[in-house]
Amino acid sequence: MGQVTDLAVSAILLAGLYATMAYGLGLIYGVLRIVNLNHGGMIMAGAYAGWWLHAQFGIDPYLSLIPVSALAFVVGVVIYRLLVRRLPRGAAGGVQSLLLLFGVWLVLRNAAYLLFSGNDQTIRTSYSTRAVSLAGAFLSVNRLAVFALALLVLLALHLLLTRTYLGKAIRAVAQNPDSCTLVGVPVERIYALTFGLGTALAALAGLLAATLFSFNPDFGATELLKSFVVVVLGGLGSVAGTAVAALILAAVEVFAILALPAYLTAAVGFVLLVLVLVIRPGGLFGQRVLG
Amino acid sequence: MKRILPAWVRPRALIAVAVAAAILAVLPFIHGNRYWHNQLTETLLAIATALAWNWLGGYLGQVSFGHAAMFGVGGFVAARLQIAVGVPMIAAWIGAGVIAGLYALVWGHPTLRLRGPYFSIATIGVGEATRLICTYWVWLTGGSSGMSLPVQVQLKYQLYWYALALALIALAASYALRRSPLGLALLAIKSDVDAAGDVGVSSVRLQDLVLFLSGMTMGICGGFYASYYSFIEPGDMFGFARSISFVLMGVIGGIGTIAGPAIGAVIFVLLRNSLIATYPQLYLGLYGLLLIFVILFEPLGLTGLYMRVLRRARPDLGVTGIAAPESAAPAIGVTPPVEQREAK
Amino acid sequence: MRATSLVSALCALALGGCKQPSTDQAQQPSGGSTAATAPSGSEILIGATLPLTGSEARIGGFYKEGYDLAFEEANQNGGVSIDGKKMQVRLTLLDDTSTQATAASLADRLINSDKVQFLLGTYSSHLVEAQSVVAEQNHVPYVNGGGGAKEIYKRGFKYLFGLLAPVQLLSTALMEWIDSQQQAGKVPKPAKIAVLWENTAHGKDFRAGVSEFVDKRKDGYQVAVDESFELNGKDFSALLGKVKSAGVDLFLADAHLPDYITMQRQYVTLGLCHKVQSYGARGSEKQAAEALGAEHVRYILSAVWWNAQLGTAGLTKKFVDTFKTKHKKDPEWYQAMGYETARALFLALEKAGTLDRDNVRDALAALDVESIVPGGKLQFKQENGQQAIYPFVVQQNQPDGSSPIVWPKESAKNSGSPNSGCK
Repeated sequence: MGQVTDLAVSAILLAGLYATMAYGLGLIYGVLRIVNLNHGGMIMAGAYAGWWLHAQFGIDPYLSLIPVSALAFVVGVVIYRLLVRRLPRGAAGGVQSLLLLFGVWLVLRNAAYLLFSGNDQTIRTSYSTRAVSLAGAFLSVNRLAVFALALLVLLALHLLLTRTYLGKAIRAVAQNPDSCTLVGVPVERIYALTFGLGTALAALAGLLAATLFSFNPDFGATELLKSFVVVVLGGLGSVAGTAVAALILAAVEVFAILALPAYLTAAVGFVLLVLVLVIRPGGLFGQRVLG
Repeated sequence: MKRILPAWVRPRALIAVAVAAAILAVLPFIHGNRYWHNQLTETLLAIATALAWNWLGGYLGQVSFGHAAMFGVGGFVAARLQIAVGVPMIAAWIGAGVIAGLYALVWGHPTLRLRGPYFSIATIGVGEATRLICTYWVWLTGGSSGMSLPVQVQLKYQLYWYALALALIALAASYALRRSPLGLALLAIKSDVDAAGDVGVSSVRLQDLVLFLSGMTMGICGGFYASYYSFIEPGDMFGFARSISFVLMGVIGGIGTIAGPAIGAVIFVLLRNSLIATYPQLYLGLYGLLLIFVILFEPLGLTGLYMRVLRRARPDLGVTGIAAPESAAPAIGVTPPVEQREAK
Repeated sequence: MRATSLVSALCALALGGCKQPSTDQAQQPSGGSTAATAPSGSEILIGATLPLTGSEARIGGFYKEGYDLAFEEANQNGGVSIDGKKMQVRLTLLDDTSTQATAASLADRLINSDKVQFLLGTYSSHLVEAQSVVAEQNHVPYVNGGGGAKEIYKRGFKYLFGLLAPVQLLSTALMEWIDSQQQAGKVPKPAKIAVLWENTAHGKDFRAGVSEFVDKRKDGYQVAVDESFELNGKDFSALLGKVKSAGVDLFLADAHLPDYITMQRQYVTLGLCHKVQSYGARGSEKQAAEALGAEHVRYILSAVWWNAQLGTAGLTKKFVDTFKTKHKKDPEWYQAMGYETARALFLALEKAGTLDRDNVRDALAALDVESIVPGGKLQFKQENGQQAIYPFVVQQNQPDGSSPIVWPKESAKNSGSPNSGCK
């Protein structure tokens, strides 16, 4: 039974990270109807940014969250203004945006290879191996911190989207961009801001992940797919939906070890992705991906 | 005059390809250089794979990021058939191709209902899941150590002509799939699935057909690869890098066009060989930039550039004379960039 | 017409290759030609590829150091003596970026375009397995120090020679040390083992080695957990949880450096502690001690093909000293293997007295020389598929930060001991 509690706790902590990771992807798709394949690239960029700041200046990765996210926000806006804006909106632009942002990801990956070499990196702080004992289970300090920060971020997002004018504007544009233009909402600016926000969230999640795992320029591919599972399962725009979907994914991944050989548990996320898309494309909270 | 060819086959195209095939067939005897001989073999194989990918990605508009799955399945099944059962090489390729095609149907049939980016994301999942499962499935793939085939000294040299045949067949199939009435039906499906259904196009069956053909050809190419290198391993066969290469070849060459991906394949191999020697670490970024460039400025890739040049050079030749259906509904539902549209 | 343009593109590609490309030494700026003095008369051209960029770039660079040292040494002595005449040796080194198709393609190029006489191998088993096919098809002797998987050598190749002993022997060495501890009563009998192996050729062979040993000693050992994991896996907590609940005595893993660091970190955080712990060939790396903290890598065992501590006398000492003078650091097994691989080829060339490939091949097959490998002797016996066989050396990280050899007894500075800090 001890093992089950251990696994359950592990799943909950992991879910926090997954939810943060997925939210940026979902936000961009919900508002711009664009699948940001550079999501993986930004996750990797966030990881490297945090690592670099720590390696060069000794800044604790959790402290560099804000500057890294801010920088990523700017990068996102730039990518939008420079590249994404030139694409047609809507279904017709769907696969093109995919390929375009995929190209950006390739470039980012190459840049990382050139700057930092293909070697794996880890962020080691004084508390990296410290653990806290809670109800018999050993919890890594890092995992707890990541979970707590993820909750904070999600809460902040929820507040942003429901309580502020910007948030309401974003939600309005997601629902009906044409009507928004009619009532004077600066739709293009909202698009740019949303893209920047989604990118910032990706980098933030990448930085959080970097405190837990090692990474190299290829980091982000698996995380992208997991984000997608969460987005499709949880529907778009709903923080609660994202949280629940993240929990489901984390639970399936973690508990899979009871039924499958460890090596195949890595495939669980991918299989789940395909199954979810095929069987329940509307997600648990209903958002059509068909037609 | 009695027509020996179907109405949709243009005699000029046929002659051009026949001449090219003849030249390529006798080329090895002219240059006698082993290295270039092998490079050409690899290029011809790349052409076949790019064309096969394009049937799904370009003709049907469903961009797949996981086609390495069929390539790998074909390769390992062909190798297994030859080693374990002693099946002769060509038969093994074809058998492997059929199994790869069927595998494509297994995951593709349900997922083809998804449109646009969702299908593409699903294919990444399929590709990676296949890689992990097949690496674990030691009987089929030999696990992470891979599988070796017995080395036959003259085989690699002779495989050149097999590759040429494979590329020609793929090209012929590309031509047929596009220009025939079947091709029109595919175009209809790509533009609007429901409307196509309304006018009597059985989209599900046609999509399955293209899926199977694409998967089967990929599988045969995988079998070829196994025979050519005499050693295959799952990380290389099923790798995401391989799937990406198909996408790059198709998009940079000209997605949705008949021979565009073939040109993309030639460029891809050329670039790789020249970059490998001097700037091996730059190739990823270069392809990324090319991809961005293509998507933003010339969605039809190199073929599109070529058509633009042609339009300017021979304005008397109405583009429709050459590119009949293409100009009507090029590539993946491409609409001209926003600025251009507003200008009209 | 697109058909025409395709045709022209292909023909351009084909005809472009028609004129024989001059022996372009398309080397990395820092690579290749290592003739200390201007080449006098004719040279012996030797080709090789290594992963100089890509995921294995770090190790590829190490092998290059080994190759370069061997070439420099040979040329400083005037060259390799072929039937009385001294000939300089020149290395044409290309970057295969750790990709199978590239490795094979470059081997093809080296042989058919650059016209090298012989080939030295690349690093990593599957690359060697693919590249050796090209060498075999062209009847070019291929001497490699980078492929340890036994399967490479089971194909009956005549021109392939491997300097890396089979990875199974790594496990054997570890288990033998553990056995000696068990006989001294320091390890429980029977002992339960957890084998966690990276799903690569290396990991597979590692696990096979452990299984083989356990099969022969069923009274002493039992494998309780046998799981593989993906290379560059991120989250091992579920897997380690499984190990925890299985209550094993010995924790044997096989992983690359990044996975070792990630797994050990999660291992420590979960509060795991085993009397005997190993990560295969990993353990003593400085990078790991830095990333994890010295107290968290104590008592970890690692078994490697070679270690600088073997350099107490003779040939090995000479190599260590020369390397240290040049690079200001101790050589590890990568550099040693690179060096010895090239040196083995040179010795065979001298023995054959000719540059004829078949004669050199025969000389390699009959080679029986003093060597820096553990055991001091290098042979490529046909019954082993022309793969060298010699014992691995086992090291253990000690609390004082050193990592002395603990096995085999003849080379051991310290007998080593299980981690007394664990239950």
